[in-house]
Amino acid sequence: MDAAVETQDLAKHYTMGRALVRALDGVTLRVERGEFVGLLGTSGSGKSTLLNLVAGLDRPTAGSVVVFGRNLDGLSRADLSLHRRKMVGMIFQSFNLIPTMTAAENVALAMMFAGVPRGARDRRARELLEQVGLGGRQRHRPKELSGGEQQRVSIARALANDPEILLADEPTGNLDSKTAHEILSLLQALNDGGKRSVVLVTHDASLASRCAQRTITLLDGRIVAEAQS
Amino acid sequence: MMLSDTTQLALRNLREAVLRTVLTALGVSIGIASLVGMVSFGVAIQDQVVGSFMRSGLFDTVTVTEPFRAGPRAGGRGRGGANAFRQQVGPSKQAPADARLDDDALKKFAAIDRVEEVFPNIRVPVQATYGDAHEFTAAIGVPMSARGRGVFQSFTAGRFFANESEDACLISQDFASRLTDRKPAQIVGTSLTLAYASQGNSADAAAAMLPGMPPMLPGGLSIQRSEKAFRIAGIVERQGGPDPVAVLFSAVMIPLAKARAMGSYDVLSPQALLRPPSDKPSYSTVTVRVARAQDTEEVEKKIRDMGYTAFSIADVLKNDRRAFILLDLFLGLVGSIALTVASLGIVNTMVMSILERTREIGIMKAIGGSDEDVRRIFLIEAALIGLMGGVFGLILGWAVGRGINYGANYYLRTQGVPATNLFLIPWWLVAGGITFALLVSLVAGSFPAMRASRLDPIQALRHD
Repeated sequence: MDAAVETQDLAKHYTMGRALVRALDGVTLRVERGEFVGLLGTSGSGKSTLLNLVAGLDRPTAGSVVVFGRNLDGLSRADLSLHRRKMVGMIFQSFNLIPTMTAAENVALAMMFAGVPRGARDRRARELLEQVGLGGRQRHRPKELSGGEQQRVSIARALANDPEILLADEPTGNLDSKTAHEILSLLQALNDGGKRSVVLVTHDASLASRCAQRTITLLDGRIVAEAQS
Repeated sequence: MMLSDTTQLALRNLREAVLRTVLTALGVSIGIASLVGMVSFGVAIQDQVVGSFMRSGLFDTVTVTEPFRAGPRAGGRGRGGANAFRQQVGPSKQAPADARLDDDALKKFAAIDRVEEVFPNIRVPVQATYGDAHEFTAAIGVPMSARGRGVFQSFTAGRFFANESEDACLISQDFASRLTDRKPAQIVGTSLTLAYASQGNSADAAAAMLPGMPPMLPGGLSIQRSEKAFRIAGIVERQGGPDPVAVLFSAVMIPLAKARAMGSYDVLSPQALLRPPSDKPSYSTVTVRVARAQDTEEVEKKIRDMGYTAFSIADVLKNDRRAFILLDLFLGLVGSIALTVASLGIVNTMVMSILERTREIGIMKAIGGSDEDVRRIFLIEAALIGLMGGVFGLILGWAVGRGINYGANYYLRTQGVPATNLFLIPWWLVAGGITFALLVSLVAGSFPAMRASRLDPIQALRHD
């Protein structure tokens, strides 16, 4: 059976000014189906870059990314957008909600791109918001919500098209520790004992080891440590 | 992504920046208004010129005369307008010897496809007497079918002949005012006496010999003076008849049958006078009326093929039409300048909007929006701006046109010129204006939309 994510000698280089930056420099890793993996590393270690490559938001300089048996290398721009739409759900540190839309509209937007008819997507948006504990906050705009609430909306949106894998990039970075715990518990619940794979990027080792089954540590674009927790 | 959803997203984006949307749409409106204003002005001018011909009913008629017999037609090149004209309207074949405009020819014309009716143009030179006033003019025979057509659409007073056998006449307003000071309504019903020369038989010719005329013309033809009283049935605004040539000099119009009965229809034609009297009578000109103005050309050609000379006003106006198309084109180009500026406004607005919404575009792409989805959202936004601008521009153009029209007509009236409509907005201009606004905005929006769709999602997500 295919792994959820499989990378082979993955590299991403870019130039900043005159200097060549090796954001990723030959990363080979494997995330099993249903696994909850923590990606650890300081800022600039390449963990976000790795996540973006798995999400299909970026293309590698060298090496390959295979997500659920599908090599992203050969995909067109349109197929990559399909991959983002159907296979992965992204959660960001800064939430990335559209400020002019209500919570429900933000969640429904993801389904709009998938061509889900209006009635069905409104219903599912409502259900998802209830699932993440925001039953009474449907009509609120991001500004009217607390950080934790915004992140819940963002998680509901990530779930909208029922993806195989959740990619969370420092989801607790902007939250106080109590709220951070709530969000992590939510992610654990969504992992649901192996129903959905989760990759959590964080710089907080204790946080990662508490909820992830396995942690991978990156430094300067290379894997330097792996640990089962 | 469904089109309705894309449109909905575009609409909400426009709502989020109401001021900018309204200002940009206003720019488009001004462009469309100036375009529509210019073209509607051109259309109105054209309507003034061509329309007056159209209303005169001359467009659906072909005037036929006997072929010119002016020697061989070869070598006509460089020999002036007369020959060119002859070649244009003259018979397309060598005229057969019997190409005479007699009753048989009339029947042949009537048999041509799409011909409504055929009638001879009979003009009788008359001396009209009304009270103490005398005037030499011509009475023209008008077929009953002319009721409600051409100049007979508008009467200053009275109405068209009741029937063909009535001794009634219609006169032009000009003519009436020359004859008497009475009001038009008072003239109707009074009597006009027409004196005319007619062919008589030699027996009673002596009774009313014309002064200065030999008692007997060659060929046994005699001419006598006759007089007849006609009741003035109506006064038309302009003088006229069914035939464009006759219109110019005929102030009195009488039923065609009456003109025929006057029996003098050929005194104007030396050809006819010189013909042996045993010949069947023929007419100098015949009017062929066709069902629709478009058919004139074809009917004209068929008549020429029969060996006659035929021409219509449509021939003359063909060149005018080209001039009007050029005028419309020129006015349209001038009007388009504002629209071009407005389209740059759209580009500017869209580019600004993309800059502002870069992060939003990044988010949309991260959660599965494709390049095409993003492109469409922006394209539809531009189209909606164009649509709003187009609709409002038409209203604006119409309103400004009405305003100018009102002012101009006020001035015209003070100058004693009758008021006219200086701006006409036909339905094709409405549809064309909106379509054009839509097209221009789509073209203007295509570049920004393409840029938005090509944004790198990672860069866009980092954007503040």
